[in-house]
Amino acid sequence: MSRTALQVQGLRASIGGLGILKGVDLEVPFGEVHAIMGPNGSGKSTLCHVLAGKLGYEVSGAMAVDGASIADLDVYQRAQAGLFQAFQYPVGIPGLDLAVLLEEAAVALGAGPEEARERIATQTRRLGMERFLNRSVNGDLSGGEKKRSEVFQLAVLEPRVMVLDEIDSGLDIDSVREVAGAVEEMRSEEVAILMITHYSRILNYVRPDRVHIMMNGQIVDSGGPELADELEDGGYSAVRSRLGMTAPKVASRTPSVSDFFTDTPFDL
Amino acid sequence: MSIDDEPTWLVGLRDRGRQALASAAMPGPKDEDWKYVDIDFVLDDFRPATEPSGGLDRDEYLEAVGEVSGGLTMVDGTVVDVEAGEIEVHRPADVPDGGLASLYGSMVSPEVDVFAAANHAMAPPGAVVRIPAGRTLAAPVVVDIQAVTAGSVSFPHLTVVGGPDSEASVVVLYRSAPGAELLVSPIVEALAGRGARLSVSVVQNLSEQARMVAHHQYVTERDSTLRIGEVGLGGLYARQRLGISLAGRGSSVQMGGIYFGDGSQVLDYRIYVTHQGPRTTSNIFLKGAVADNASAVWTGLMRIEKGAVGTSAFETNRNLVISDAAKVNSVPNLEILTDDLQCGHGSSSGPLDEQQLYYLMSRGLPRDPAERLLVRGFFNEILSGLAVPDLAAPSRRAVSAKFAGAQQRAAS
Repeated sequence: MSRTALQVQGLRASIGGLGILKGVDLEVPFGEVHAIMGPNGSGKSTLCHVLAGKLGYEVSGAMAVDGASIADLDVYQRAQAGLFQAFQYPVGIPGLDLAVLLEEAAVALGAGPEEARERIATQTRRLGMERFLNRSVNGDLSGGEKKRSEVFQLAVLEPRVMVLDEIDSGLDIDSVREVAGAVEEMRSEEVAILMITHYSRILNYVRPDRVHIMMNGQIVDSGGPELADELEDGGYSAVRSRLGMTAPKVASRTPSVSDFFTDTPFDL
Repeated sequence: MSIDDEPTWLVGLRDRGRQALASAAMPGPKDEDWKYVDIDFVLDDFRPATEPSGGLDRDEYLEAVGEVSGGLTMVDGTVVDVEAGEIEVHRPADVPDGGLASLYGSMVSPEVDVFAAANHAMAPPGAVVRIPAGRTLAAPVVVDIQAVTAGSVSFPHLTVVGGPDSEASVVVLYRSAPGAELLVSPIVEALAGRGARLSVSVVQNLSEQARMVAHHQYVTERDSTLRIGEVGLGGLYARQRLGISLAGRGSSVQMGGIYFGDGSQVLDYRIYVTHQGPRTTSNIFLKGAVADNASAVWTGLMRIEKGAVGTSAFETNRNLVISDAAKVNSVPNLEILTDDLQCGHGSSSGPLDEQQLYYLMSRGLPRDPAERLLVRGFFNEILSGLAVPDLAAPSRRAVSAKFAGAQQRAAS
C-alpha cells in the first residue's frame, strides 16, 4: 500500500452538544478512490465539512493530509495543504465570475499567474466549460451545472486529496456519467479521492478501491467494491442485519440530530 | 451674463426661490424627508461662491471615459467651459422661448427645502444640454461639476433634455478640491422626450471634506427609456434627493447604483418614484456598503397614481455592513392608488455572508482576499451593467481600495 494521503482517527464532531460524528477512522492512500456510503443523516456531509475546517462544530480527533496534521488549520490552510471539498450545495456568489475566483485561488494555492491562466484554459477546453467562465460562481446554474463547475474547479486547482460530497446528487443519468468520467480522469498516483454518496449509481462509472459504510456517525463496515453491490441489492437494512444492528426506532430512543435533519437538503 | 440681466422668465423663478428661501428653515431629523440624519451644518456656514479662479485636473473617471460627444464644465456653479460637439448647450439667456425655457428650473420646486430654494435664488446661470431629436450619440456627454473654493457653497444647475427618439448617455461627475471644506447644492433635471433612450450616470467622487445636498429630478415622456446609474463614493455628508416621474405612457426607468461609505461618511439617498402614465415600468436597484463609523440612508418611496394602470414597479436596496459601528437605514415604501399593477420591494442590510466566505476559503483563499472578492462581486452585479461601461473600472478600483483600507483599519 502506498503513502497515506488522508488519515482520520477517532474523529468526533458535535454541534450545540449534539454528537454527529462519533469516532470516525479512515485511511485513504494516494492513488486510490474510496467511497463513503450511508443513509440520510448518518453524518456524511458533516465529515466533509469537518475535514474542510468549517466553523461551528466542536471537533476532536486526528486529521492529516500526507502525514501532516490539518486539525489546527483554518479552512484556507487546509486547501493549501492540498485538500479540496466539492460541495453538495455550492453557494451562489452573484457578481463574482468563476474565472476570477479560479485565477485568484490557483495563485493562492501556489501557481504563478501565467500558470493559473494556462490551467484554466486547458481544463476549460477539456471539460467544455467556456460558457461558465464569465458567469457568476454558481449563479443561475442548474443542479447539474453546479456539479460540473465543482469538478471543473477540482481539475484546475489540482488538489492532492479530493473530498466529493454527493457530487452525483440531483443529476440525471447522463450528467452522472459525465461528472464521473471527469472524476475518473483525475485518478492518479498523486491524488486520493474520497467520494461521499447516497446511491451506488455513480460507482458504476467511478470504480472505488474501497467502500465504507457510515451509520450514525461511525464507519460500521469497509470492504471492496462488492460492498456497494450488496447495498444496491439489499439496501442499508441488509447491511444492518448482517452486522447485527437493529434499525433505529425513533420512538424508543433519545432523539438525535439526525431525526431532525433526516434529509440531505439540510447541510449536515 | 450675471444674475442681474437675466430673461424675465428666469427672474420670476429667482423671485420664487428668494421667497422660499426667506421662509425656509434648516431641516432637522423631525422632518420626514430628513429622518435618520442629523446634519451638523447650516447653509450660512458657507459663503456663496463667486467667479472661480481655477479648476481641477482631469481625474481617472474623465480619463476612463475618453472621447465624448460633447459636454461642459462647471466650477463652483459657474459654467467655465462648453464643448458643444454633437449636442446643443444653451445658456439661460439664449434658451429659445417655449419648451426649453419652461423646462429649466421647472422640475425641482424651490419649496422642497432650503437648499433647493437657495439654488433657485442664487445659482449662477446654469446650462441646458439638449440631444437633438432623432440623434444617436456614440460617445457619452460629460458634465464635470467641480467645487474648488474652501468655505464656499456652490449652486450648479443643469438641465438635460433628450430630444424625441434620441439616444444618448450623459455622465454627471461631481468632484471637489482635495481637503477643501465646502458645500455643493446642485439641481440636475433631466427629461427623456417621447421615444428617447437616455441614460444619466452620476458619479459622486467628492473629496473627503466636501458636503453635498443634491436635488435631482427626472421625467420620462411617452415610450421613452431612462437608465440611471449612481456611483456614490465621496463626501463627508453627501445627499441626493432623486425624484423620478414616469409621466408618459409606456415609459420605463431602470436604475442601478452603488455607494460605499467609510471613515465617518454619511451617504444619504432619498428616492421618490412616481408612476403617472399607464403601462410604465420602473426597476430601482441600489447596493451599498458602510465601514468604520460610516452610515447610509436609503429611502425609496414608490407612488403609483390612479391613472398608472398596468404599472410594473420594483425597488431593491442591499447593504453590506462591514463594521459594528457602521449603520444603515434602509426604508422602502409604497403608495398605491391603482389596483392594476405588479409591484415589489426588498431591502436588506448585514455583514458578509459566512457561507460564501467558507466556500471561497475552501478554495485556498485566506479570509481577507476572500472578503475582497465577495465585496467585488457584490458591487460588480451593478457595475457590470452600467450604461457607460467605462465608468466601471475606476469605480471597481475605488470600492476595492475603500474596502482594503477598512480591512486594514479593522485589523490594527
